[in-house]
Amino acid sequence: MANKRNRTAGLVLAAAVLGILVWRPTVLIYGLQAAGLYASIAIPMGLILGIVHIVNLAHGEFMMAASYLTYTICRASGMDPYLALLPVAAVTAAFGFLVYRLTIRRALKAPELNQLILTFGLAILLTQAANLLFTSQTRKLSFEYVSASVDIGDLSFGVYNFVFVAIAVAMVVGLRLFLTRTKAGKAALAVGQNPRGAAIVGIDVDRAYALTFALASAMVGLMGAVFITRSSIFPAVGSPFTMKSFCLIAMAGIGNIPGILASSVLLGVSENFLKAFRGTREWADIVFFVLIISVILGRSIRGKKA
Amino acid sequence: MILEIQGLTCGYGKLPVLRDVSLSIGAESVALIGPNGAGKTTLINAVTGLVKPWGGSIRFDGRDVTGHATHEIARAGIALVPQERELFPGMTVADNLALGAAYIPRAQGREERLLEQCLRLFPILKERFRQIVGTMSGGQQRMVAIARALMANPKLLILDEPSLGLQPSIVSEVFDRLSELKKDVAILVTEQNVKESLRSVDRGYVLENGAVVLEGAASDLAKDPHVEASYLGL
Repeated sequence: MANKRNRTAGLVLAAAVLGILVWRPTVLIYGLQAAGLYASIAIPMGLILGIVHIVNLAHGEFMMAASYLTYTICRASGMDPYLALLPVAAVTAAFGFLVYRLTIRRALKAPELNQLILTFGLAILLTQAANLLFTSQTRKLSFEYVSASVDIGDLSFGVYNFVFVAIAVAMVVGLRLFLTRTKAGKAALAVGQNPRGAAIVGIDVDRAYALTFALASAMVGLMGAVFITRSSIFPAVGSPFTMKSFCLIAMAGIGNIPGILASSVLLGVSENFLKAFRGTREWADIVFFVLIISVILGRSIRGKKA
Repeated sequence: MILEIQGLTCGYGKLPVLRDVSLSIGAESVALIGPNGAGKTTLINAVTGLVKPWGGSIRFDGRDVTGHATHEIARAGIALVPQERELFPGMTVADNLALGAAYIPRAQGREERLLEQCLRLFPILKERFRQIVGTMSGGQQRMVAIARALMANPKLLILDEPSLGLQPSIVSEVFDRLSELKKDVAILVTEQNVKESLRSVDRGYVLENGAVVLEGAASDLAKDPHVEASYLGL
């Protein structure tokens, strides 16, 4: 069913995209770039939600912390963030593992509200720790390659942000291979569908959860390292991404990771569509809310009929 | 003895469900009978580590497994067919069966032979091999759950109410299959369908209000006046 839904959404998108491509090419280009950024931050959160069934409200803050870590490393050593990427991912993986072991694990059987309060608390903790350590002043690392641009005819646009599209696609493909081809991945997939059933067939559910949490943290840590190459950071920089990620996952449907790509494209392109006109530019932020409300409304109306 | 339970006490929250239950299973099939709420499922949950025992001991295959985690007990050789089946609904029959063997050391390297045995036992699963389990009927899902448990090459197979929600013709089919199995695997089965279960097992225990009130050979239990009056409707 998820596949069929993806296909219809894909068709509608393709038609819309074709129209916009002819009319305003930059809408599509910048829309896709924004979609890549949204998707590559949302996918790790979707992984946790799909397998551990926990909404990690500190997700964007994990990325923010990884960005600060990258900033510190690169400032101290003069290293490029892309070189710091793997060490940072390793640190955030370990951090995610610890957070799971020390906190999340104890709340797995608690009511959902307790889980939300727990991860919300983690988010505040991380933001305030960043405030104490780095103050609320914005930090930035500048690189020349970020402003790379391409001219096609009389059209000129920045290409650097396509790196996010590549990361998002690599994440979806990599996760798919991990979940269907490896022993640990298959175990995680089984745990996501039925933890009790997984324990009965000899799967260590706790280990699968810890691994999933560490893997998702590594992915978002990696994003933190890439994020700082193009944006300035401050302690609250992650929180809008927590909310956007959660809504993109809700739009795609929980457990539907490729669907996150589609919902990100929808969001990124429609935002940039409004940004393309002077009169509607300020309205771009509202797209997000319109989309999420209409998707949830549509789904509940369809749900009532069925 | 394959499974030896001594003085098991167990419950939920502050509410005790099992009081000082002792039970043992050798190379045989054993039925656990009793009314709703007697503690049959709780006993099984304690054996498989799904609830923590309060007191007493559970030994499996000579090892103390009291309070061990469910996956460790599964890897040691106890396969469970839960009342609620607990399958992976979004996966195919093939994937569900493969997962039954994938994480059990005793099943490694024998997957093909075990699969062949399961498909011989339940030919319908061969036809439905690529079907998503969530779209199958309750009876068929029950068969998938039994087959998935057998894929673990267990020493002890535990079935919790295998006939629940099944039509009578399938119930006797399931019990026929179980009598075929008991040559190779020790079986513990809980049933409300006392007539069917006593016909196909070697021994039985009657559990009432969390305590064993009767035990004996299945043929003797079937003739026992208390069992006749309470469970066979005679």
